[in-house]
Amino acid sequence: MFEIYHPPFTTEAEDTKIIVEKQGDDLIYKRLFRGKEEKELVLLNNDGDITINPIEPVNLPEAITSFLLIEFKRSAIIRSGDKKKIYLKFPVEIGVFISDKSGNHEVIDIFTFNKVKYTLYGSHTQGIICRHWESDIYTDEPDTEKLYEGFIELDIANESNHQMEITNAIFNAYGMKIYFGDKRLGMKASMKIINKLLAETDFSTYPTTSRFKRSMELYTARKLAITSTKGIMEFGI
Amino acid sequence: MSNNSTTSTVSSYIPALSDPLFQITTVIAVLFFTILIAKGITIYLQRSLKDKMDKEHLNILIKSIYYGSIVIAVVGVIFPYLQINTSGLLVAGGVVGIVLGFASQSIMGNLISGIFLMVERPIKIGDQVNIDNKLGYVEDIKIISTIIRTYDGLFIRLPNETVFTTSITNYVANLTRRFEYVVGIRYNDDADEAIKIIKDIIDWEPFALVNPGPSIFVDTLGDNAVNIIVRIWAPATQWYDMKTRLLWIIKKTLEENGIEIAFPQRTIWFASELNTRKMSDISETGYDEQ
Repeated sequence: MFEIYHPPFTTEAEDTKIIVEKQGDDLIYKRLFRGKEEKELVLLNNDGDITINPIEPVNLPEAITSFLLIEFKRSAIIRSGDKKKIYLKFPVEIGVFISDKSGNHEVIDIFTFNKVKYTLYGSHTQGIICRHWESDIYTDEPDTEKLYEGFIELDIANESNHQMEITNAIFNAYGMKIYFGDKRLGMKASMKIINKLLAETDFSTYPTTSRFKRSMELYTARKLAITSTKGIMEFGI
Repeated sequence: MSNNSTTSTVSSYIPALSDPLFQITTVIAVLFFTILIAKGITIYLQRSLKDKMDKEHLNILIKSIYYGSIVIAVVGVIFPYLQINTSGLLVAGGVVGIVLGFASQSIMGNLISGIFLMVERPIKIGDQVNIDNKLGYVEDIKIISTIIRTYDGLFIRLPNETVFTTSITNYVANLTRRFEYVVGIRYNDDADEAIKIIKDIIDWEPFALVNPGPSIFVDTLGDNAVNIIVRIWAPATQWYDMKTRLLWIIKKTLEENGIEIAFPQRTIWFASELNTRKMSDISETGYDEQ
């Protein structure tokens, strides 16, 4: 499903079907779920290519946050001064982009095959609302179904003077760099633990493997002026 | 003696105060330094209050301080230096000040309250609030008044003094908000099953927060129903939409699973057995034989 299409075309995955038809100079975009129409758009005066690829998983059903919180099914304990690479799974959202002649991409649709949940991290007054996902901790690249989940290669560094128990990690979608291959998709990130209440996460611009290609991220396509790409965990890890 | 001679020597190098050129130069210098200091203060205020006040009101405050400093320098330094007698001006100003003070007491109260509101910021433009029993959206916070648009679209202007001295409920100041339903089911329905169904519905609701989690429990064994309390936390921006939608989904899903919402009913037990007859028997004979 994740590729560049030249209209008209039809593609199908799971119970979702995407149909793009030409109607004169215009394009008709339709997304159907189990035969029932979920979204229809008329793209006026448009004959650009359509790109379908994974995007940052913080947009559905409405974009109310840019943070993803991954809760660990089992806590991880890391010794003071130690570094360790672990793998986590993250949810996938799928973005449909249309490109114009000058190469600009605009998102026209977003959907997911996953259950979407949100959570509060921190206090009711100062905390942050995050997209919630639960993942086990893996020491090797986990098997994932790319339409549903990807994996994060997370380098954890405990820079504090104490042994730390990690129960969750927060990532900022503004910094996400998603790469995908034929069967899997992944991101590379780091987590720096400063103390029991403070940690910082960030993404690497390099793919987990050179065979993967870079996804068209939503925040990149929107050309937003981004102030910070880091995820600051100041209410505990 | 030597002291006096030194002073006279120094004085001889300083031009007389009556020298117009020196006076003009001094006035320009005083004005220059006043403007410099006022600029410094305004830049400092702009930086420190940038996150605490909105741009429009910060501009008003900064301009007031800037021009106020210049007026104080002119009246307090330049006029006495030029030997312009300001006592008459001060007396007249004092009288005018008293008159204006009485006349504009409420305006000043509102103005000062407005400044405190802008600094304290208990409400922001766009917030949903209840101020003095006026519910609605904050449309604007001006220096004298605050504008509310009620949920039914009315325009309300509240003096800032009222806003500042009354209790304010800001419905969206916190990130999250909890709402509650009471679901009454029949006594012969399985409350555990009902709770499980409601939990499943909430579990599929994206904005029903995982943490703090929902709580669903049998609260009371009421006169007519077993009352289940459903408490859900949601982002403050999404709770109302969810609240208006979810109750009907719960009701429909419970009914699909054979659990009915109870309605008021009373079971009456008679001390002796009643002699009952079918209505058809009465209608055939035309009267009740008993």
